[in-house]
Amino acid sequence: MKKIPSARIAQLLFLVLFLVLFIQTEYRGKDEISLAVNSFFRADPLVLINYVLAAKSFTWLLLPALLMLAFTILLGRFFCGWICPLGTIIDLVTAKITKTAPIRALKGNLKYWLLFPLLFASLFNVNLAGIFDPIAILIRALTFFFYPLFGDAVRQGWVGLYRIMGDSRDYLTPGYALLRDHLLPYRETFYPLAFTSALLFCLILFLERYEQRNWCRNLCPLGALLGIAGKFSLFKRLPTRLCSDCRDCAVICPTSFDSEILQKQDCILCMDCLLKCSSARVKFRLTGQPRDDAAYLPGRRMILGSLVSGFALSRVVRFRSPSLQERLLRPPGVTDERLFLEKCVRCGECMKVCLRSALYPAIHQAGAEGIFTPLLIPRLGYCEYNCTLCGQVCPTSAIPSLPPNEKKRTVIGKAVFDKNHCLPYAKKINCIVCEEHCPIPQKAIRSERMEERDLSGKRVLLIKPYVVDELCNGCGICENVCPLEGKSGIEIFAVKDKTPLRASALVHLKR
Amino acid sequence: MNRRMFLAIAGLSSFFYRSYLRDLSAAEMPVVAVAEGKEYEKITVKAVAALGGMKRFVKSGDVVVIKPNIGWDRRPEHAANTHPLVVKALVEEALHAGAKRVKVFDRSCNDERRCYVNSGIAEALKNMKQVELKYVEEERFKKVLLNGTALREWELYGEALSADVFINVPIAKHHGLTRLTLGLKNIMGVMGENRGNLHRNIDHALADVNAVLRSHLVVIDATRILTAHGPQGGDLEDVRITNKVIASTDIVAADAYATTLFGLKPADIGATVAAYRRGLGEMNLNRIRIVRA
Repeated sequence: MKKIPSARIAQLLFLVLFLVLFIQTEYRGKDEISLAVNSFFRADPLVLINYVLAAKSFTWLLLPALLMLAFTILLGRFFCGWICPLGTIIDLVTAKITKTAPIRALKGNLKYWLLFPLLFASLFNVNLAGIFDPIAILIRALTFFFYPLFGDAVRQGWVGLYRIMGDSRDYLTPGYALLRDHLLPYRETFYPLAFTSALLFCLILFLERYEQRNWCRNLCPLGALLGIAGKFSLFKRLPTRLCSDCRDCAVICPTSFDSEILQKQDCILCMDCLLKCSSARVKFRLTGQPRDDAAYLPGRRMILGSLVSGFALSRVVRFRSPSLQERLLRPPGVTDERLFLEKCVRCGECMKVCLRSALYPAIHQAGAEGIFTPLLIPRLGYCEYNCTLCGQVCPTSAIPSLPPNEKKRTVIGKAVFDKNHCLPYAKKINCIVCEEHCPIPQKAIRSERMEERDLSGKRVLLIKPYVVDELCNGCGICENVCPLEGKSGIEIFAVKDKTPLRASALVHLKR
Repeated sequence: MNRRMFLAIAGLSSFFYRSYLRDLSAAEMPVVAVAEGKEYEKITVKAVAALGGMKRFVKSGDVVVIKPNIGWDRRPEHAANTHPLVVKALVEEALHAGAKRVKVFDRSCNDERRCYVNSGIAEALKNMKQVELKYVEEERFKKVLLNGTALREWELYGEALSADVFINVPIAKHHGLTRLTLGLKNIMGVMGENRGNLHRNIDHALADVNAVLRSHLVVIDATRILTAHGPQGGDLEDVRITNKVIASTDIVAADAYATTLFGLKPADIGATVAAYRRGLGEMNLNRIRIVRA
């Protein structure tokens, strides 16, 4: 039997772990999610470095990433060959694709020209790293495109069965319930940027036509970062160059034998060369000799160029349309927009986990700098009063993880009635659905009863709603449930002052 | 006819009714059973027993739908959802009476997964055989011709329509628009489409639906009632412990009696009046036989 390399076993295990955690990143009957796919980001050094540069602080949430960096310095770029789920998917999906020839344009220092400007942009407080982080790319493609598609396909099949079988479909319910409760997304939400997210992912796969692990060796900023760290590794493959009598490694090696000499910063330690070496020459050894002439360190030109372009990048993306800002609602607990952008990884986990599908990736609402960051669209979904899941799964605590009673008091925005639309005002018809749904125990939407003449002149007792600003947390349920078609009679608007509601607004806390 | 006129006629006619027809109709007065106590399962069973027991409604092999209020993501003590023990007692009774299957569901306002868990009903019905606590599925709604005064047609839930026995189990609580929400309003949980639209003419709309989808048995959970900030509350200050369960086959009579727990008169509740006028039941307390169970 053919021996399966340990790297391959590790890859598969981590891929399974990744997918399990991905599916677990959803409300499954418990208020807390103990393990979510955010673990992968917390061990992601690219996320760590950009967080530190942008927020200019450290968070213990990212300790695993620090450890990962330390191990990479010790062992090399093993993450890419052993752990990275995107790398594994590339290996699995594209193994059979015959490669034509490497694209010249991707060679050279392109990946560093991607990595360093991103790092400098972070230093200037605009953290764009998440756009190109491989794990974020993968999760976004799954969350926005593949998972909803999968969920919708199964769900439509289930609905179709009902059309065919009617109530006798009930015999199959236990099976479907099992799928629904453990595998499917509960709601089939469709997201903006779904296509873009999928495209980016597919493009990475498409690049495999030209060269094995093309993304990983030529573009991936996480890979480039790990490669630089791995340069200091004491763990070495010997011999460090192709043997003149064999040269098989040039074919076997997925990343690092572009030339005669092993490109150490690209070696992902898959150890295929060790297994396949016909003369058992290849060894991986800890040596006391870290110096590696072939490894790349950014030169002065690179640093200066990146500094300038990073600065430019961090400024030119800042334009925001003012009219969109008034409806720019961030997830609960986010108080400072700038701070939020410094920390957000744009991974899409908050949007995936959101109970009521209230969160969607920004397209241009938050300017170019805010692409893929989450925003709440109340007409599509509201923030569930007792739910704290988005804060729990956020890898960098850009959305803070708050205890339920604190989260309920955080202000997302404030509700405002549009009296030209709202039924009791505009049409003299009673409605009050918004007041009914307002979750604040003291009711942030209240009403006064007034006798008035309706549009036909008849005397009616009108119940006219109004908002109590001090009690409104902007959850958006009122806007969500407003029975008017199209534009709601009540809408949530963004506010600067996000001081939490006073504790007495949630009186049952006193108990 | 306006309300004043109606009350005058209703009052006068009751005078004649009383004098001449009383003996004839005494046997047909609707019965409202009221059981009181701190053990909610027990009083639920007692209230139903006072009406003749569950066997009167459920025959062997029946499919029974129990429709509690599970509308809100609130815990039992908040008095926003039907008490889990009341639901559990009814489910067990239905099973004892020989039900083939008991289905429990509601079209929740908050996230249904959270509502089912937080209401305590999921836990109360866990591991019970032949019992399904299920989520409402969009495809099961069916357009039903109501030919009512407010609604011509509306989507109603297939499983509620096709059930052999439909047991309506509301909780008695305050509501901003209808003042109270009781049995008649609880029927909204099996209605599809944009229910917010109903609010424009809700009293008649509820009568329209209740005229078509009749509750074979109404059990009102008044173990604790929400007296303000309904229908979802959240403040324990608004909750009053009343330790009562009310049961009747007459939905209007059950609602009428429950209204008195809030210090209101049945005529104060528009939905009750509309349903009474439609002939769906009796709202005059002096023409309802109240049985202490």
